Amino acid sequence: MDGNDHSIVRAVLAGDKDAYGALVRAHSTTVFRVAFRIVGNEADAEEIVQEAFLRGYQRLESFELRSKFGTWIYRIAVNCALNRVGKSEVDAEYRHGEENDPEQKTVQVAATGADPERVLLSREIGTAHEQAMQRLTATERTAFILRHMEDRSMSDIADVLGIAPNSAKQAVFRAVQKLRRELAPLRGNA
Amino acid sequence: MKHLNEEELIALYYGEPAEDPDARRHLAQCEECAGSYAELKQDLEGIQAAEAPPRGVEYGEQVWQALRPSLVAYERPRRSWFGISWKAAGLATACAVLIALGFVGGRYWERRGTNLAKNAAGGANAQATQRVVLVVLTDHLDRTERLLVALQHADAGDAPELQSQARELLASNRLYRASATEAGDPALAGALDRLERVLAEVANDPDLSEADLDRVRTQMNTEGILFEIRVLQSRTADEARATVHTKGATI
Repeated sequence: MDGNDHSIVRAVLAGDKDAYGALVRAHSTTVFRVAFRIVGNEADAEEIVQEAFLRGYQRLESFELRSKFGTWIYRIAVNCALNRVGKSEVDAEYRHGEENDPEQKTVQVAATGADPERVLLSREIGTAHEQAMQRLTATERTAFILRHMEDRSMSDIADVLGIAPNSAKQAVFRAVQKLRRELAPLRGNA
Repeated sequence: MKHLNEEELIALYYGEPAEDPDARRHLAQCEECAGSYAELKQDLEGIQAAEAPPRGVEYGEQVWQALRPSLVAYERPRRSWFGISWKAAGLATACAVLIALGFVGGRYWERRGTNLAKNAAGGANAQATQRVVLVVLTDHLDRTERLLVALQHADAGDAPELQSQARELLASNRLYRASATEAGDPALAGALDRLERVLAEVANDPDLSEADLDRVRTQMNTEGILFEIRVLQSRTADEARATVHTKGATI
């Protein structure tokens, strides 16, 4: 696949714009998955897929043929997602002042399942996880997602985030420590 | 051996090489550490990846069809009759003409001819230089944007990394700011000047604490500067594209 990707890149750079379609088709799902995990929103994730492939096309001349195209576009997508997360965190800070009822964030569970208590508990745990993740910094959250959910190595994470390997490791450690602190009250229920 | 701390346990969980090579052996022998590790494992296993909504087999095609109209084909390298690209042939011809002009001008019209050659070369160089400067400036703005985004979310643990990046950017930022002032571009010069103050503040603080980072963010309005940088990025990107009509894509 990599050799094939490389020949497609060469074809695109030689003027065959449509060849790029093969790369988009091959890598869109992976890019969507990581974008969704970082931004947690389907519409934003889809926009990030478009943005990543557009930026990828624009920078294709800087793509080094000894790298894998999949890793390269993945890195671009993570950066696009990080930018998006950074932007929405700023927006969220503005909105925060207007929210009078912090209880709005609690989940009202309809008793539709066979075991309403279990459904409620499971949703509460899910919400708590989500909120704990939102309290991490963008770098910590992304580093944790890449390590814990995407199973990327620390050196890959460092490469993707453009930071030193030790900083990537520290970001993962801090994320785990913060998440454990936040989720400690749930330990008895899980 | 002393008990393993949380970081060492996390490193073990993710299979990272632990700093202490005996850590895994210690874990097998120490009941207390084994208990802590089991608790960590349970916590982390409880954090499941958010399941991305499934994409159909046609998803890639949909992305491509949406993207395709925005892309402009890269310039296909054209070949002349002798297998030399037209660009190379054109360059060679231009060089030959310039040499001939220089020779004739030098011989018969020395002073004026020299001036003409200088002007011609100067014009070509200026265009090439402008293109290079725009590309490099775009790169500088990209790196700066990343630093500012990181700064918005940084805590004290990120300070060493931020400081090293700020020091790297500070020197180049000074050059760009001075060039922008000389070139009479007050918008760029002003933004780079405000940026320089933030970079200097971050780079030169010997003990950058969380409170210092908060102060930089609020007092120096890094959010506003980030916005300015993004505006400049799109402007320089447009200018860079305008200098090369044949390559890249339009948004």
